[in-house]
Amino acid sequence: MFTRRSLLAGATALGGASLLPGLAHAKGSLIATTYPGSWEDAYRAIVAPMLKKQADIDLELAPLFAMDQIGKVKAARGAPPFDAFLLDPGPRIVAIEGGLFEKFDPKKLTNLPKIPEGFADEHGVCVSAQVVGIAYNPKKLPAPKGWTDLLKDPWVSRLGLTGFQTTFGTSSIIEIGKQFGGTLTNPEPALVELNKVLPKVAAVGLPAAMPGLFQQGQCDVMFTNTQTVATLKGKGVDIEFVKPESGAIAFYTTMHIAKGTAEAENAYKYFDLVIGKEVQTALTPAPYNFLPVNKDVPLTPDMPMKSLDEMAKYINHDWAQINPLRAGWIEKFNKEMAK
Amino acid sequence: MQTAPRDKAARTLDIEDVTVRYGAALAVDGVSLSIEPGEVVALLGPSGCGKTTLLRVVAGFVRQASGRVRVDGAPIDHLPANQRNIGIVFQNYALFPHMTVAENVAYGLRARGARGPEIAAKVNRFLETVQLGGFRDRLPRQLSGGQQQRVALARALAVEPSILLLDEPFAALDRNLRLDMQIEVKRLQRTLGLTTILVTHDQDEAMSVADRIAVMNRGKVEQFDSPVAIYDSPRTLFVNGFIGSSNLLAGKVAAIDGGMATVALDAGAVLRLPAPSGLPESGGVLLSVRPEQLILSAIPGPELWRVEPGLSLPLGGQLVHEARTADGTTIKIAEPRLAAPKGLPRVYCGLSPDARPSLFPRST
Amino acid sequence: MKEGGKLSLFREWQLAVPLALAFAALFLAPLLLLVGVSFYNDEKITQPGFASWLKFYGDPFNYKVIGDTLLLGAKTVCTTVLIGYPLALVYLDLSARLQKVLLFVIVMPLLLSVVVRTFAWIVVLGREGVVNSVLMGLGVISEPLKLLQTELGLVISLTQIEMPLMLLPLISVMSRLDPNLRDASAALGASRWRTLFTVIVPLSMPGLIAGCLLVFASSTTAFISQTVIGGVRLIYLPLVIWQQSLVVYHWPLAAVASLSLVVSVLSVVAALSWAGRRSGGYVNG
Repeated sequence: MFTRRSLLAGATALGGASLLPGLAHAKGSLIATTYPGSWEDAYRAIVAPMLKKQADIDLELAPLFAMDQIGKVKAARGAPPFDAFLLDPGPRIVAIEGGLFEKFDPKKLTNLPKIPEGFADEHGVCVSAQVVGIAYNPKKLPAPKGWTDLLKDPWVSRLGLTGFQTTFGTSSIIEIGKQFGGTLTNPEPALVELNKVLPKVAAVGLPAAMPGLFQQGQCDVMFTNTQTVATLKGKGVDIEFVKPESGAIAFYTTMHIAKGTAEAENAYKYFDLVIGKEVQTALTPAPYNFLPVNKDVPLTPDMPMKSLDEMAKYINHDWAQINPLRAGWIEKFNKEMAK
Repeated sequence: MQTAPRDKAARTLDIEDVTVRYGAALAVDGVSLSIEPGEVVALLGPSGCGKTTLLRVVAGFVRQASGRVRVDGAPIDHLPANQRNIGIVFQNYALFPHMTVAENVAYGLRARGARGPEIAAKVNRFLETVQLGGFRDRLPRQLSGGQQQRVALARALAVEPSILLLDEPFAALDRNLRLDMQIEVKRLQRTLGLTTILVTHDQDEAMSVADRIAVMNRGKVEQFDSPVAIYDSPRTLFVNGFIGSSNLLAGKVAAIDGGMATVALDAGAVLRLPAPSGLPESGGVLLSVRPEQLILSAIPGPELWRVEPGLSLPLGGQLVHEARTADGTTIKIAEPRLAAPKGLPRVYCGLSPDARPSLFPRST
Repeated sequence: MKEGGKLSLFREWQLAVPLALAFAALFLAPLLLLVGVSFYNDEKITQPGFASWLKFYGDPFNYKVIGDTLLLGAKTVCTTVLIGYPLALVYLDLSARLQKVLLFVIVMPLLLSVVVRTFAWIVVLGREGVVNSVLMGLGVISEPLKLLQTELGLVISLTQIEMPLMLLPLISVMSRLDPNLRDASAALGASRWRTLFTVIVPLSMPGLIAGCLLVFASSTTAFISQTVIGGVRLIYLPLVIWQQSLVVYHWPLAAVASLSLVVSVLSVVAALSWAGRRSGGYVNG
């Protein structure tokens, strides 16, 4: 019989061998995750070349959603397939609980004084913020005012939905639920209302597929973050961002060092560069529209807020409460949405 | 010479000026053959001569570029293969490997919509005819080559075709079995009085099975005649070379008078021979003569030429001598094994009294 | 088998030992791990028990998911057979040069990543995609057809994506068939249809079954195509496995779902190959 110990030993050996190559850990290299889509585009175009130039570090980017990063590292069990995480608040908490981060020393960042107090802690450093709201195609649809519009004509028949797999999806459904009497810990009313209009809904897809579906005209309205809107706009797609009447959702995006990596020093250099003025300045204008955290970099006029001080006015979700419930919500979403 | 018995059911088969093109190449080049009812005709020739293509035209597998095929005078060119009622036995038999012997034989009957009892009766009859009654439930792969061929034959005959086509049917059989099967096929064909075309590259097979032989070369029929006529009086050099073995001796025509040509051989003899029509009155000729129609002599003569004896090999009932003429040609002389006399060396070669040599103009 | 010289001391089965070891290490061990993990109750893999199995199979929704997954495989098999079989027949009748061209066209999809092929189908099947623009341009329809996010669209794209897996075994078996068999059948008076159904289909059965087997196994597990083209309202087992392993991190449940997929697909595959063995003997015979 298998003991748990032998099972885990086997899992570690197999997981370590089968995931991303360890041989990429040559001198001056770093494997960091990034979100597929706008983040990947921006980091490939701006950050990777700069890191190579300034620190002679080869940055290898692994495009993974936050949840997938946690899954991959958990599967690897002590031999992380990448050196640095890029995470949203929810997965960040999961990772802290799972002990997936190296202890972070903010003092190693030369740019620490340039970011607001509290933006770096023993877990990692905040590199940007995301604002989630509604995106729509102004050539096809009038501007929706709030979350409830998504469930009404003409928007509902052009709506593209995603489930609870991502931070922006979860937050958006919670907000829809609140409009119908739901709470942070009970998005059920949203599912009930969605179910009523389900036959009209244009698409229910994986988060990664949504920008493509929007671009192809399969759906013309969806909930998403401002960076995705900016990226699609940069590709010539007709898309505009709308702050819902009840408020847009905002959360910080953070970077962390994976536990057990041999490239911690390179990760510090990478994080330092990312919060530095040069990168933040390059990522702020279109088509990237990343909210800058560096005090020396002003926000642009077309950003949803004038300064990061406004973050407090946005809707913030407490992911410590959400995380334990999410598995059940996903299961429920499957059943409610299934054809 | 034997002729097939005339059966009322037997059909004539007329091939009229049939041409088949494969791309730019002519596979069959204006072939015409008239085949009598109940006759077995062999298409004989080297591979690539067009004989199989011609067979496939008759079967309907290949469409000719021009020309006609008639059965009993009626053209069948417009009919697809499955409406021609022509039986065919392939070189590899092409038995359906997933069907039993009985199912194979019943296949054509079923395709024609025959009823159960009729099918059963005919399957039994034709399996008995080919002596395979006890093998009806075997699969083809469980049979020997000869048995498979008999199944193929029974399958082709069961639908009572108007014409039977045999495509190298004996080629895959070993020598002893081949002779047995040739006799059996001939017996069946005569019993049923079926007009039959046999495609073969084996001249012995053509000689023993066919009533007439069409020798083909490069898409054309070189000669269409009885086996004896083909053997004894080949009309072209190709037929001469392809049928039996023969010696070719170069010479020149000195004169032609009264249908007889005076030929001076390069080997050193002057012969008077019957001249074929169309032989030029002067110029080079080739004299063809079978090995068994040459003799060796110890005494010189004007119609004999000197040879340098080489090896002698016993071959069946014969002794074959190899010899070299003065002009450097190697010839073969065959004589009964016991005929060689002892005594003086026989170094003079000539035609035997019953020789039927042929003369062909020598192309320059 | 009789043993001859010294070489035969080296038994034939010994030659297979390295392969068997590699197979055990790379295939059997992970599978056993999967079985082991499935018998834990909690996400942290600390309490052994049957709770994950009971939870998965206590939910009727999961039966529907398993059924839909197998049905998707069956539908894809049907469409690949309906299109692939005639295509294989056409292939047999082509000249050698055209056969090479067609073979290249058939194999080409295999050279492209399945992700690329899948996203290409979004462009083709989308609301403003090729199919809808053509049909609307011709005036056949006034409203765009909904093809993406439907099982129809998914089956259409899987048909193209899996087609090489059907065609390659089919063509390889069919081109080994004796061409004289077709002529023999015709000469015996059989129509083309009778020849097809009584001679060609039975004899090409091993290739057909091998093709069905590959297409079935591949389409039931095609996570990317299923989720990107079908969307997440069409729920098949691979999506459930992905959610449980990479979104919810409930590995025991993910293991149960994976084993359910493996067992249900393998049992269909086993039935198919049993049927294949029954019809398989003739071709080489």
